[in-house]
Amino acid sequence: MTTTQENRWIGVSAPRREDAPLIRGRGRYIADIEPAGTVHMAILRSPYAHARINGIDTAAAEAMDGVHCVLTAADLEGIGDFPTIWRLPGQKECTTPAFAPGKARYVGEPVAAVVADSRYLAEDALDLLDVDYEILDHVVDVEAALADGAPVINEDMGDNTIIEYTFPGINALGVAGDVEGAFEAADEIVSGRFKVGRYSGVALETRGHVAEWDDLRQTLTLHSGSQVASLLRTELAAALGIPETSVRILTPNIGGAFGNQWDRYPEDILVSLASMKLGRPVKWIEDRREALQATVHGREQLQEWQLAASTDGKVLGLKGRVLSDQGAHLHSVGIGPAWVTGAAAVNQYKIANYHCDVVGVATNKTPNSTFRGFGGPEAMFGIERMMDKTARRLGIDPAELRRRNMIQADEFPYFSPGGAVYDSGNYPAALEKALEAVEYDKVREEQQSLRDQGVYRGIGIASYIHVSGFGPSAILGILDYYTGGYEGSTVKIDPHGRATLYTGMIPMGQGTETTLAQVAADHLEIDIANVRVVWGDTDQTPYTGFGSAGSRSNVAAVAVIKAIEEIKAKAVRIGAGLLEADPDDVAYADGRISVKGAEEMRSLTLADVAQQAYWAHKLPEGDQPTLEATYVYDPANFTTACGTHVAVVDVDVDTGKIDWVKYVVVDDAGTIINPLLVEGQIHGALSNGLGGAMLEEFVYDEESGQLLSSTLMDYLVPSFTDLPDFEIHHLVTPSPHTEGGFKGMGEAGCFPAAGALANAVTDALSHLGVEADQTPVTPSRLWSLIDQAGG
Amino acid sequence: MAENMSVVLNVNGSGRSVSVEPRKTLADAIREDLGLTGTHLGCEHGVCGACTILLDGEVVRSCLMLAVQADGAEITTIEGIADGDALHPMQSAFSEYHGLQCGFCTPGMILAGIDVVSRNPDPSPQEIREEMGGNICRCTGYQKIVESVQAAAAAMSAEGGSA
Repeated sequence: MTTTQENRWIGVSAPRREDAPLIRGRGRYIADIEPAGTVHMAILRSPYAHARINGIDTAAAEAMDGVHCVLTAADLEGIGDFPTIWRLPGQKECTTPAFAPGKARYVGEPVAAVVADSRYLAEDALDLLDVDYEILDHVVDVEAALADGAPVINEDMGDNTIIEYTFPGINALGVAGDVEGAFEAADEIVSGRFKVGRYSGVALETRGHVAEWDDLRQTLTLHSGSQVASLLRTELAAALGIPETSVRILTPNIGGAFGNQWDRYPEDILVSLASMKLGRPVKWIEDRREALQATVHGREQLQEWQLAASTDGKVLGLKGRVLSDQGAHLHSVGIGPAWVTGAAAVNQYKIANYHCDVVGVATNKTPNSTFRGFGGPEAMFGIERMMDKTARRLGIDPAELRRRNMIQADEFPYFSPGGAVYDSGNYPAALEKALEAVEYDKVREEQQSLRDQGVYRGIGIASYIHVSGFGPSAILGILDYYTGGYEGSTVKIDPHGRATLYTGMIPMGQGTETTLAQVAADHLEIDIANVRVVWGDTDQTPYTGFGSAGSRSNVAAVAVIKAIEEIKAKAVRIGAGLLEADPDDVAYADGRISVKGAEEMRSLTLADVAQQAYWAHKLPEGDQPTLEATYVYDPANFTTACGTHVAVVDVDVDTGKIDWVKYVVVDDAGTIINPLLVEGQIHGALSNGLGGAMLEEFVYDEESGQLLSSTLMDYLVPSFTDLPDFEIHHLVTPSPHTEGGFKGMGEAGCFPAAGALANAVTDALSHLGVEADQTPVTPSRLWSLIDQAGG
Repeated sequence: MAENMSVVLNVNGSGRSVSVEPRKTLADAIREDLGLTGTHLGCEHGVCGACTILLDGEVVRSCLMLAVQADGAEITTIEGIADGDALHPMQSAFSEYHGLQCGFCTPGMILAGIDVVSRNPDPSPQEIREEMGGNICRCTGYQKIVESVQAAAAAMSAEGGSA
């Protein structure tokens, strides 16, 4: 195929088509949607961590002027719960109910709802609800929850252990390691105990819905910020007991999602139920306190690792136990993130002998579920801290220890004992590039002289893999993940030769509309202005098994490419007839259909052919009229993005404050569609990763079970002055088994961030022996460690 | 419930009279009574800055004021800064330098950026970070917002110079 530089859009920093309304204040977010006759819902949430609900007196609220209805658990007859879709073997059954089921299990669990003329009135009416709570003993610490005599949060489970899952260290080829043998043969055994803090996406826009029930047509239209509208449609219809054909989900602009909007929530049911009851539009917008209490949390794990090493710096084996603090009940993805931690913990290293037990534990806290990174950052934190501890024990430079253990560029596909198959990458090259960019040797030299002057500078390296493009549906089936991993795309060429692309992907800020337009324009070799992208309407867009995520564009992009291949083949067949040539002698190039070797003379535009396809007067036998194709792509494998980050910080030993010196990223996400947007994704994911590494934490009071950080004054989101300028370098190792070579990268930036930061802080304080093994490394936490170490 | 009060809000150059409950926030009045939904609500307790507006030339969080307190004030919202179809340089710079992703913080960021540059026509990256510290962005990690504001400052100086 001949190509020119014209109309090649992959690899170009195309301007974002999303921006025009957003910079003018004309975005349309959920809160901006208000059909005529809308009434407003407010939700009463449990103020207790654990309390039986013996009764709710709704009379006074119902009698209030302006109140339309009050909903409690008594109104849920015939209404189902949302399922946990990842159901690993041995996992106890657990669902997400619309209201606390007879007892509240965490502060913030929905107990009742009021619908009134305005949100102000609805909140007034909440004060009139009288709930008879019987306060029960609670537990908010994961180890305490496992202890004998701990309050049992879900009685039908018998205790607070939801699942114990073992990674036996057998790779996808069935080869098992010998972890005990490795530990017996070890010269050194290094141990680590890590607390990964509880934090989450905390998008600036809170969740919300507007539900419109049409009682004449018996249809429900839900305006929703869900990242996965197809699954929401399926599960919501089932929960409400109405046909899925009656439900349409419309997605407006989303003000950030970060994985949290992947889950199904009680309010999805409640707002729909209220609209069905009242026969008018019902709107619910979460307030910030609700968002912090009732939108899923993420991350929290207690990890214990042991690493077996030889004196020459070979990692012989790794074994560990991960306690995942799931909160009160499993949410949509079950213990999925902790499972990923177990699967990914060997990271970039050739550790053939591996064993990990993952335990999902219930506590009286908000459910812990989907959040950008999904178990990967937790895994990277543990293993990268272990690598640094091992380097220190062996007296080997931490960069050198990584070098000696990394999987090499010629060892792909690599079959990890965590079960994953790594497709491609060049880990040593990324490490060397990062060290070069940060001027590693020079910084190490300066570190010594600065320390003599009382400046405590530390260098932290953390490498990562990100298994993205989740995933081949057959593998999801093996993992008992009850959804598919495919993405569909429909491309329609209109009679004028312009393209409309329908995708189940939902842009949440990452620029999906722009990047998919780039892929379509590039493969059709037409001007990007002639591509429209339609998303956010389940009546029009393809079903997506897995839904939108920052690292799903790669799968969706392949679906676009495959659909366009079908369109081009059809255009060639139609064009050959018009050109009176053999189809084998006709090719599609530069957005034209031409006889090979006679492009100047015998050539048609896409519009010429499209017009003929719509007239359909003279179509090749077997071809249907019009010019469109749908392709549902199920990925052949996961893709593995990778890279290395290096953080350089100064620690103030008097205050525990961390000051940035430098932050270098080397990232390999395969073929890049839009370099500017990729930078933006790395920056953003880094701010999520470093936020949780340094500041962000959902803190629970052990005495009362209360969530203490339930305002943005207490839950500290990084501000302008908390984050450094990031220096980004790319390597490009295209994925060998996907069209286009793309890998998912929207989450990757958060993977190594906490490890890099904690390694840098620990390095800065090596003279004191302070180890930053708990996130977030807040100034007060760090100051306490320094103080305890006698610094 | 208290009686509604009549309030005149001079928004984006035109006077609008609204009848509001005394407890209604200025942000809610702007969004609900004036229909200007570009002013966003991210926290409603004065931390995130998504509801930033200019009130009598000062940067204000409209979630922390009551509408009745703004009676007679001159208010500029995100909808009022472009000159017809011609974008304000701050708007153009945010798009060109990828200073926005989801766009939810963007109206507040753009107004805060305009305020910074109005007081300091040539701010350094560090000055921008310090001055805009009252606005939270969850998507960008801030670096590209800093670049956007710097670029806009340069464009505004050039524009001012030629005027």
